[in-house]
This record gives sequence, C-alpha cells and structure tokens, in this order.
Amino acid sequence: MKMPSFLKPTSGVRTGAVVLLSSVLLSACAMSPTSPDGSEELRAKLTQLQQNPDMMTHARVQLRDAEAAVELAEQPLDDEAVVAHRIYMADRMIEIARAKGQVGLLEAERELLGEQRDEARLTARTREADQAHADAESARSSQAQAAAMSAREAEELQRQIDTLEAEATERGLVLTLGDVLFATGSAEIQGGTNQNLEKLVTFLKQYPERQVLIEGHTDNVGSAAFNETLSRQRAESVRRFLISRGIDSSRLSVSGYGFERPVASNDTAMGRQQNRRVEVVIENGE
Amino acid sequence: MNTDTIRSAFMRIGLFTTLMLATLTLVACASAPLPPTESLNNARDAIASAEQAEARQYAGAELEEANSHLAAAVKAVEAERMAEAERLARQARVAAELAIARTEAAKAAEINREMGRGADALDEEMQRQGDQQ
Repeated sequence: MKMPSFLKPTSGVRTGAVVLLSSVLLSACAMSPTSPDGSEELRAKLTQLQQNPDMMTHARVQLRDAEAAVELAEQPLDDEAVVAHRIYMADRMIEIARAKGQVGLLEAERELLGEQRDEARLTARTREADQAHADAESARSSQAQAAAMSAREAEELQRQIDTLEAEATERGLVLTLGDVLFATGSAEIQGGTNQNLEKLVTFLKQYPERQVLIEGHTDNVGSAAFNETLSRQRAESVRRFLISRGIDSSRLSVSGYGFERPVASNDTAMGRQQNRRVEVVIENGE
Repeated sequence: MNTDTIRSAFMRIGLFTTLMLATLTLVACASAPLPPTESLNNARDAIASAEQAEARQYAGAELEEANSHLAAAVKAVEAERMAEAERLARQARVAAELAIARTEAAKAAEINREMGRGADALDEEMQRQGDQQ
C-alpha cells in the first residue's frame, strides 16, 4: 500500500492525532464567524485613503487611529449594539482622517498659490513701470486686492524715488541735475541722452498727474541779468527735452533764478559747480 | 509548635485572600452602574470646541449629530443603561471631532478660493496692462 510517510499504518496513534487535528482546524474554519456587516465597506474606504500618498502625508496619525478602529469593528461579536457602535466610530474616524488630509493638501496648495502670486506680482511690477494707472478698475474687484495694490504702489513709488536719487522735501521730490549737463555759458544739453533725465522721464510717465517745476540756477560769475537768462534757458532746454520725450507740456513750468539761490559758497570752484544746476521739483501727489 | 505556626500563617493568608476577593467583588459590583462621566465630559468638550470653531456654519449636520448622541447618552444615564451611555458619549465626541475636522477643511478651501480669486484678478490686471502697451 502506497501512502505518504506520515500516514504509515505503523503510526496509528499519530494518524488519529493528525485526523483529529485537521478536523478541528476545519471545523474552526467553518465555525469562524465572519466580520460584522458593514465592516467590509469600512475597510474598503480606509484602504482607498491609505493608498493615497497625499492622505498618508497629511493625515498619518488619523489614518493610524482609523486603522485601529476598523480592526476593532472587524472583530466578530454577538452584541449587536457594540458592533454598531464600533462601526460608527470607525466610520467617523475614517472621515476625520479624510478631512485632515484635505486640510493638509489645501495648505500645501496655498503655499504654491502664494508663490505663484509673488511671481505674478513681480511681473506686474516690472510692467507697471510704464503703466501704473490701469490698476484702478481691477483693484476694485476685491478689497484685499485693493489693499495689496496700494501697498504695492507705495512700494513702487519709493523704489522709483530711490532710482531717481531725488530728495523728498516739503515742495515735493527735488531732483538736482548738475552742471555737467551743460557746457559753460551754454544752455544746450550735452550728449544725446542722460541717465538721470531718462529716469525722470520714466517716473513722470508713471505718475502723469504730478506737476513739475523746472528751476534753473547759476553761479555768480557774470552779471545778474546774464545769469538769470542763462538759468531760464537751461531750465527751458530741460523742459524741451522732456516734451520731446512725450511729457505733456502743460505739466511743466519753468523759472530761472540766476544766482539768487545758491546751495553752496560761490568762493570756491567746487561751490560754484554745485550752484550751477537745474532743479526739477516734482510736486507731491494729492 | 513550628508546624502550628506555619499552619496558622497559611490559614491567615487564606482568610486574607478570601476577604480581599470578597471586597473586590463588592467594589466591582458597586462601581458597575456609575455613569460614564469622563466620556460625557469629553463629548461636551469636543462639542464646545466645535462650536467655537464655527462648526454650526461649516459642518452643521455633524454638530447636530454630536448633540443628539450626547442627549441620548444623558437619557441612557438617567435610565441607568451605563454601557449604552458610554457608547453614545463616545459617538458624540467622535461626531464633534468630525465636525471640527470638516470645519477646518471648509475654511481652508474658502481661503484657497479667495487666494485664487486674488491671483486671477492680478492676472487679469496684468493682461490688461499688457494689452495697453
């Protein structure tokens, strides 16, 4: 008789034991009560969340708690009230984990939104250098936006003032153009372009509501009448330059003070050089 | 004499053990019908936190559920069904916690929508500036 070694007839006792053991195992399987109704759905719901890497990142703790609750709910039990209670608890804990995960995701997304917005702002600011006034309408779209805008405008203005190297005074922003602009005794602006003037043009275009006073000053070499005329002519040539660059002439007024208002002593060459100047006063906005 | 001492010692220990067991049993019996105070307090705290987080506005149904579980728990205590009261109190707490979590999620979503609108407005404005140039 061919039999597997463990069922050799010589070991009758062992055979009995094996049969008994397997029947016990089988009956254990057959009798094993199934998990309570409803726990399968819980398990499926939880597994779905656990397989989502975002959820695992943002709701790790809550998912662990939910896992424990689901395991408890899966245990077979005769007491229906307790079973229902466990299922309820597990279900709500899964939902808590889901909500926490959503919060985490939204917060991460917000960081990204913030970065994108900063980037957009930077681009907007660069463009704004030429077009500052178009803001008003869209700014009205939301209050928060408006607040951000005015803060940005103030910031932008300060930045512009800084690049102009203008001095903020009671009269407004004073930009001093030194005498290097003009040859001695001449009222013509030297060279094709001048960086300070270019910056001034940019600034004036950006703030089109601001009035501008152009004041010419000289040192005390020569007669008062000559200097007065020269200072006015120099101021005029700055005005002409600005008009040629598209600034509205009605915004620009001109005066020549000659040597009436020195800013330094006329006794030294250096002092006289400082006195030979054109001051551009940009009046403060309202 | 020596064996007597040992025997009496054993007897004493036996008596002591019996008394202890009896006491424990009595205590266990006495403590069984105590109301689940801790669970009830936890549930009330959680509901208060949810209300503070404006759950009424963002997760009204969940908050309502928590309140009704708590009310049922209190009724069960009055009827001295303490095990049921304990379960209901726990359910009230977990429902309140869910209300809080969903409130947080709703608020976070609201903030993001607001930010999105702001960014859209900015984009729009930039577009307009671009068109004007």
